[in-house]
Amino acid sequence: MDKKTVTTISYLSRLKIDPEKEEKITNDLENIIKFVDQLNDAETSDIEPLTNPLEKTAKTRTDQVTAKNLKKELLEIGPSSNEDYFLVPRVVE
Amino acid sequence: MIWETVIGLEIHAQLSTKSKLFSGGSTKFGAESNTHVDLVDMGLPGVLPVANKEAFYKAIKFGLATGAQINQISSFDRKNYFYPDLPKGYQITQMTKPIVEKGSIKVSTENGEKIINITRAHLEEDAGKSIHDLFEGETGVDLNRAGTPLLEIVSEPEISTAKEAVAYFKAIRQLVTFLDICDGNMAQGSMRCDVNVSIKKIDDKELGTRAELKNINSFKFIEKAINFEIERQIAVIESGESVVQETRLYDSDKNETRSMRSKEEANDYRYFPCPDLLPVVISDKELNEIKDNLPELPEEKQNRYISEIGLESSEAKIISSSKAMADMFEEASKKTDDAKMIAKWLVGDISALLNKENIEIDESKLSPENFGKLIKRISDNTISGKIAKSVLEEVWENGNDVDEIIKAKGLIQIQDESLLEQIAIQVLDSNPDQVAAYRSGKDKLLGFFVGQVMKETQGKANPKSVNVILKKILS
Amino acid sequence: MTVKYKTIKEIKKMISQKEISHKEIIQDVYKLVKENSNLNAFISLNEEKSLKKAENFDNNPSDCSLAGIPIAQKDLFCTKGLRTTCGSKILDNFIPPYTATVIENLENAGCISIGKTNMDEFAMGSSNETSHFGNVHNPWGDNLVPGGSSGGSASAIAAGIVPAASGTDTGGSIRQPASLCGITGIKPTYGRVSRWGMIAFASSLDQAGPMARTAEDCALLLNEMCSHDIKDTTSLDNEIPNFEDNLNNSLKGKKIGVVKDLDLSSLDKDVIEVYENSLKEFVSMGAELVDVSLPNLALSVPTYYVVAPAECSSNLSRFDGVKFGRRSKNPKSLEELYVQTRSEGFGDEVKRRILIGSYVLSAGYYDAYYKKAQQVRRLIKQDFDEAFLSVNVIMTPTTRGPAFDIGSKGSDPIQMYLEDLFTISANLAGLPAMSLPNGNIDNKPIGLQIIGNFLDESSILNFGHMYQTKTNWHMFSPEGVIQ
Repeated sequence: MDKKTVTTISYLSRLKIDPEKEEKITNDLENIIKFVDQLNDAETSDIEPLTNPLEKTAKTRTDQVTAKNLKKELLEIGPSSNEDYFLVPRVVE
Repeated sequence: MIWETVIGLEIHAQLSTKSKLFSGGSTKFGAESNTHVDLVDMGLPGVLPVANKEAFYKAIKFGLATGAQINQISSFDRKNYFYPDLPKGYQITQMTKPIVEKGSIKVSTENGEKIINITRAHLEEDAGKSIHDLFEGETGVDLNRAGTPLLEIVSEPEISTAKEAVAYFKAIRQLVTFLDICDGNMAQGSMRCDVNVSIKKIDDKELGTRAELKNINSFKFIEKAINFEIERQIAVIESGESVVQETRLYDSDKNETRSMRSKEEANDYRYFPCPDLLPVVISDKELNEIKDNLPELPEEKQNRYISEIGLESSEAKIISSSKAMADMFEEASKKTDDAKMIAKWLVGDISALLNKENIEIDESKLSPENFGKLIKRISDNTISGKIAKSVLEEVWENGNDVDEIIKAKGLIQIQDESLLEQIAIQVLDSNPDQVAAYRSGKDKLLGFFVGQVMKETQGKANPKSVNVILKKILS
Repeated sequence: MTVKYKTIKEIKKMISQKEISHKEIIQDVYKLVKENSNLNAFISLNEEKSLKKAENFDNNPSDCSLAGIPIAQKDLFCTKGLRTTCGSKILDNFIPPYTATVIENLENAGCISIGKTNMDEFAMGSSNETSHFGNVHNPWGDNLVPGGSSGGSASAIAAGIVPAASGTDTGGSIRQPASLCGITGIKPTYGRVSRWGMIAFASSLDQAGPMARTAEDCALLLNEMCSHDIKDTTSLDNEIPNFEDNLNNSLKGKKIGVVKDLDLSSLDKDVIEVYENSLKEFVSMGAELVDVSLPNLALSVPTYYVVAPAECSSNLSRFDGVKFGRRSKNPKSLEELYVQTRSEGFGDEVKRRILIGSYVLSAGYYDAYYKKAQQVRRLIKQDFDEAFLSVNVIMTPTTRGPAFDIGSKGSDPIQMYLEDLFTISANLAGLPAMSLPNGNIDNKPIGLQIIGNFLDESSILNFGHMYQTKTNWHMFSPEGVIQ
């Protein structure tokens, strides 16, 4: 876990790391990764990963429109919106 | 140096379900902004996706029609990235176990038919729309489209020219519309595509480095963008540099592609199985039911039109080329017993009108009912073929009812034989020289007399009857 | 007449015998909330509406099973019209437009949601020290942590403010605070309780459950919390039993699994003694102890600290300042909006886990960490499957010790992560597990964990209830044994 890796993952996570905390965070991450490296002790070559404890298959829905028009309510929750859209600083394509 | 081009297409087809892939939000196009947004589409804290089975059925239809493998157990993954119109900060897609794999499609190219293999077709959710040019300094986000089911159809990199790419896209579009799983409307963005382009020396085994051209939504632009990109890559390599693997945006105004690298910056989508969604299973029963109810595909239609209805093969081909055309043919045929005449008109006058206006038949004002009526009025001798052309023109213009046009303009064919005889005698009397010439052996003048009678009756006579009457008088 | 320290059962009796009106109950609860404001157990209160509901019950008596029972809801469940923060600054102004299924279920059964309880930010923590709204204090000692992440819920019950609270448990967040506060709490089988409206931390591990004074009350609550929810495709459609039915079954001949691979050597002598005493108690009721082997148990913490951060890094991406929640002031660009909003809005522990999650999912590390962890997870589940072939339940201490001092775990996150050593495996395997008080060490309570087989909450509750008919550890309060 070097500085460059920390920069990359903080970019992917859209998090800024304060310069004064950078060393501590890098250290913490390094230690956590070392800690989870214990997993290498387990023999898992033929083991299928378990992504959900329910080894079941999904229930699905039929194709029906059930949603109501929540436009006003949802736009009001938005931190910045006008009467029609959620707004963000101009994105340059 | 001779360069070989290698092209692969990723086509995004919006599936024509009523509701979204993971919510009960409506997928209807053109609604007022942010009115078709369910709590799930909004990505609110605590909401959960529930998959729409119909989207699977539609994807399976595509798989069956392309002879593909249907994965009866398929699952969803998350693709993580930030963008304002991606409400959850990830897109739910099928990365590891797509519903459809390993299909193929026959494509007509300049050099004859070619089979293009389809690597996979998977389900995923569409993003919302960012509106960049409406507000000063701000981008507006409309989430109506967020969550609309997409079928992403990925081809093998087996396409060799821009024209072939267009032909492939057209073949896919034809198929999805015939299957009734996507409306194929490119202007509304129902079908879009990303194009991967690379070049290599003919003898090279390895593929060259590819550039991905994003989000192209017309046939014309696919061709132009690919051709520009090929030239660009050749120039790059011939100048001694190398092509960079990157995403490029096609600018149709300038006819050029430009790098979007600035936006990508070390992107890593961190795919992983979506823990909210368990694998979806399609039972044998469901699969068989879809198989049994698969609609007739273009090639089958074409064959049936020839063998059962007796159309010329060229006619059958044109009519089965698009779903809209085939639907028009089949619907209009129900209104008359002269399917062959329907076909003649479709391939002839109607195709000419469509070409002139560059539209599809379902965008015209002609309804199958009205079209069928028009043909019926020809075959029951109410109007002549010539009058029918003028009626069609009016229908094309305003969509009015055929019978009403005929009635309002008094276009009904003259059935009264004695009246036609009277007119015929008049015509012959006023052209004594021609009558003499006819009698001395110039048979072709009969056509002239028929034309004169038609002129006198303003086209309301039946040319066949006029022929018979004239022959009788002249003999 | 007060409802302080009363159980649900007792309050129901008080109501039916007309010893107290519904309104008086709720008024008393708010009086207790205010008297105990130093605990910082609540983030938001719902006083006006709660009083109205109580009055309504007085005017129109209801025969709902939990009519008028005051309950505190963890601030991780969305409640329509009532602020829901998840203990985070990034949601400090979020008023949901909808209500979580489990809250609806409880309210439909007559529960009155009197307020939202404090918690570790996004349920990431074992001490309630990561809440944006400040520490929760343990009623057993002002300087003690209540445990976490459902620390506010545990503290409110331990202080006798409410008889019941909702909690959520991703790696021990119901059981660990239950242990540290001396109350009873159960994490049901994954999928028993709908996750619709529960703000996700790690979707494949999160499960809501009841916290109360007794196993019997937990059974009453669980009866109402469980449902088949079409809005959550991981919600189970197995039959939901009446959890009260088997509470009094005899334990004679029932088998308790004792994990032989469990290394207890690092625990205090007192902790081991409390644990062994309760095993003896069960033996005296006719149960048998059987050694079981869970060879991969030691890997549960590292497995968890890959899986949970991976899921959380993705689940928390929606907090981007675009559609809801807090947005940083005057961002100049979209990137700045994202980075500043998230950097200001999330606390250090949440950031740490998002970063770890991004790391283990990123190209080149996925197989070595994420995939590997999910493989080990299967091994852990297989260990349990094997063990449950020969036992009815498995018992361990819930925690490594009683409540620790605020700030005492210092700045080493791994020390804190190891707090959940005994509890995490049940989440990885999706199994139900309960903690109930089984002793006091230096006048601080501690709990026993009972893990059950898949869908077998009934056995856990049976063992728990029988234990509570024989012992009175659940009657201990900071003010002495409740009379």
